[in-house]
Amino acid sequence: MSSPFQPAPTASAKSNRVRIVVATSVMLTFISYWRAAAIVLNDLGSSAFYAGGIAEQAVGKAAPWFIVAVMLFSFTVRAVYVESCSMFVRGGVYRVVKEALGGTLAKISVSALMFDYILTGPISGVSAGQYIAGLINGIFLTADSHGWIPLAVHRMFHGTPQVNVNWTSVVFAVAVTLYFWWQNTKGIQESSEKALRVMQITTVMVVLLLGWSVVTLMKQGYHPVPLPTAENLKFSQEALGFLKHTDLARNLASKFAILGIMIAFGHAVLAMSGEESLAQVNRELAHPKLRNLKRAAIIIAIYSFVFTGLTSLLFVMIIPDSVRVPIYKDNLIAGLAMYLVGPQILRLLFRVFVVMVGFLILSGAVNTAIIGSNGVLNRVSEDGVLTDWFRHPHRKYGTTYRIINLVVFLQLFTILASRGNVYLLGEAYAFGVIWSFTFNSLAMLVLRFKYKGERGWKVPPNLYIGGHEIPLGLASVFMVLLSTAIVNLFTKSVATVAGVSFAAAFFLIFTVSERVNRRKFALAERQMQEHFQLLQTDTVERTGLGIRPGNLLVTVRDYNTLSHLKWALERIDTKEQDVVVMSARLSQFGAAAYDLATEQIFSDYEQRLFTRAVSVAESFGKHISLLVVPARDVWSAIVQTANNLESSAVVSGLSSKMTAQEQAFELGRAWEPMPEPKRQFVLQIVHPNMQVDTFHIGPHTPSMKTEDVHLVHRLWLNITREPGLDKLHHQDILTEALTRFARDYAGRDRDEILRELRKTAGKMVRTRLLGGDGGSASASASPSESPPGSASKKRDEGPRSPPGVSR
Amino acid sequence: MGMLVALGVRVLETMFLVGGIGSAIVLVLSGIEDIETLFGSEDSDHH
Repeated sequence: MSSPFQPAPTASAKSNRVRIVVATSVMLTFISYWRAAAIVLNDLGSSAFYAGGIAEQAVGKAAPWFIVAVMLFSFTVRAVYVESCSMFVRGGVYRVVKEALGGTLAKISVSALMFDYILTGPISGVSAGQYIAGLINGIFLTADSHGWIPLAVHRMFHGTPQVNVNWTSVVFAVAVTLYFWWQNTKGIQESSEKALRVMQITTVMVVLLLGWSVVTLMKQGYHPVPLPTAENLKFSQEALGFLKHTDLARNLASKFAILGIMIAFGHAVLAMSGEESLAQVNRELAHPKLRNLKRAAIIIAIYSFVFTGLTSLLFVMIIPDSVRVPIYKDNLIAGLAMYLVGPQILRLLFRVFVVMVGFLILSGAVNTAIIGSNGVLNRVSEDGVLTDWFRHPHRKYGTTYRIINLVVFLQLFTILASRGNVYLLGEAYAFGVIWSFTFNSLAMLVLRFKYKGERGWKVPPNLYIGGHEIPLGLASVFMVLLSTAIVNLFTKSVATVAGVSFAAAFFLIFTVSERVNRRKFALAERQMQEHFQLLQTDTVERTGLGIRPGNLLVTVRDYNTLSHLKWALERIDTKEQDVVVMSARLSQFGAAAYDLATEQIFSDYEQRLFTRAVSVAESFGKHISLLVVPARDVWSAIVQTANNLESSAVVSGLSSKMTAQEQAFELGRAWEPMPEPKRQFVLQIVHPNMQVDTFHIGPHTPSMKTEDVHLVHRLWLNITREPGLDKLHHQDILTEALTRFARDYAGRDRDEILRELRKTAGKMVRTRLLGGDGGSASASASPSESPPGSASKKRDEGPRSPPGVSR
Repeated sequence: MGMLVALGVRVLETMFLVGGIGSAIVLVLSGIEDIETLFGSEDSDHH
């Protein structure tokens, strides 16, 4: 065996090489299918804000029918993604596609996916800008019609003041992109809670919009939507791309009717963009995974059908032809709001609400685009197709800032190049969407024949002839996607040129990087074989790792900051207590449909990090155990590992972006939702000056102020004088007091209690501001600075207390 | 050349039509499964 990777049970215990245990199952905080659906809908739902306008500009008034058809077809694309998620394979998207289609097509496929991800940001940002600029102009027009604009202002602007919609959109999109660039550089975690809130607000808007539209239709009647026949298709010159001026274009209605329908379908295809996000949330779904994945997929499909599909019909049915495309083409939902029945002020207020929702969902999509692109490129880098240079962590924040910079640079370039033209961006975006779906369905089709491993679900129907399976359903979806993608190549000239250039550039980068990496990997593998023995285990278990309970878990991330490891090793006798050095390998949100392979988890960076850690341990003449765990959230990974290893203490360095209290708070927050049995442990955060903050994670006896102890004692003295209560203990007084407190808090005294507690908290803050040490030894931490599950904090001014000894 | 283009277009149209019919079947079959998934009991998750 040339590989240094071995499964744990067969590992040689006598090897001189340092043993590193690599857990291959990602430590995740699982989410419900509702939250998963909300995350996907934040991406998929955002297309409702621009897809209808783009399609109508391209194919005319019959466009809504094609949007509806695309939304129905998206049910089948979703089925392909469910099958791909139910396959139990390891490796990034590149590896899986490579397995099916070979290296070249895999690189092309990833390039198309990148094009899709990168363009999600600009189109969402610019579209949000269009809604905001449209609203500003709308407010000016309304104000002017009521004579509220002063004459001087009127003269200055030679009429009603109006902002330039496209350039305002550009400025807005650039600002939002830069904001999320900085957030991602700092490494702000994506929250499913936020996604759920945004979707709840969006749902309120959708319900109001649909309900109000029905009332409008009943009161005012409707404009008919032309049926989706070849005769009703009115293609713009841009919509025919390379085909304009050809015989094909001239004979679309008479000779090539189906081709006409295909072209129209191709122009509506971006309505289902975001479907690929389903694969990203799959791994984080709670048990039963497949069932929850299907539930999330159904919710997504129905919601997006209702939101994107039905609203696009309503645009044509309610908004008059004279204003729909000329004025509202890039903010159709806002236009719909303005043509509902009711007082103008109410409609304007609803439009403000629509714009607010649009801002939330579209800005969220800008963030998702950066996170997704970062995720895909990280995975590609882990797959060895991009050099490690790209994944070099930020010195302060530990994020893959070079990849983030590259993605954001490309997005800013796209925004500026588009000059705020949503149609142009939409056309280009559709290229990435259709080709990434096509490659994915082709890979799934080929894997039906090549990959015989476990698969949770298959796209129906499947025919069996002579023991051979014929995947009819999968092949059908692929045929529609491929034929549409080919037609799009000819009809979307800008998209084809931009998409092909972009894909070619990325293909070149991937090819060169892969060659460089191949040589480097061969060397790295040799070095790894010399120094390390990798033991592969599915989950982190104490017994499997041969570690005693009560051990010390030291978390490491940056090989330049290992002073906390030195601090721990100075104080620990490793013959008495095991020291486990753990590195959490963060698995990015995005392109995370497949688990990582062992060699991807233990990369070049981990090798360098552990080499340093081992050098530190050797300088103390002490033994350490090394562990790598893949994780989505570092806090969950630490608490889950500490719990599984039965660690008595966790030692961490001070974060560059958080205070010790914030670190403890995050850890406490991750501890709370852990399933039972869960153990308490001590967290020690070592500052660069070797000052140590100690926190208890998990419920524990709080430290009491002296006056409180005296109060309990006085009460005990008084109460034990009462007849029949002479055997009462101090703890009985506390039990009674707490029970009463809990009852009052649950009852009508809640507000008063909270008022009192706020006063107390205010006093504590004032004390600290006046120079008091809120964090002095044995002082109780105020609730605001104490993490959930942890109630006290001690500051160890000097390196006195050995970690783990405080048990 | 013109004939070749017309042939190519016919091939694409056939692919789209056949694929469309097949996709409609996928939609119906997976739709039935979806209803079972949404309203069926928890025990039926045997994958």
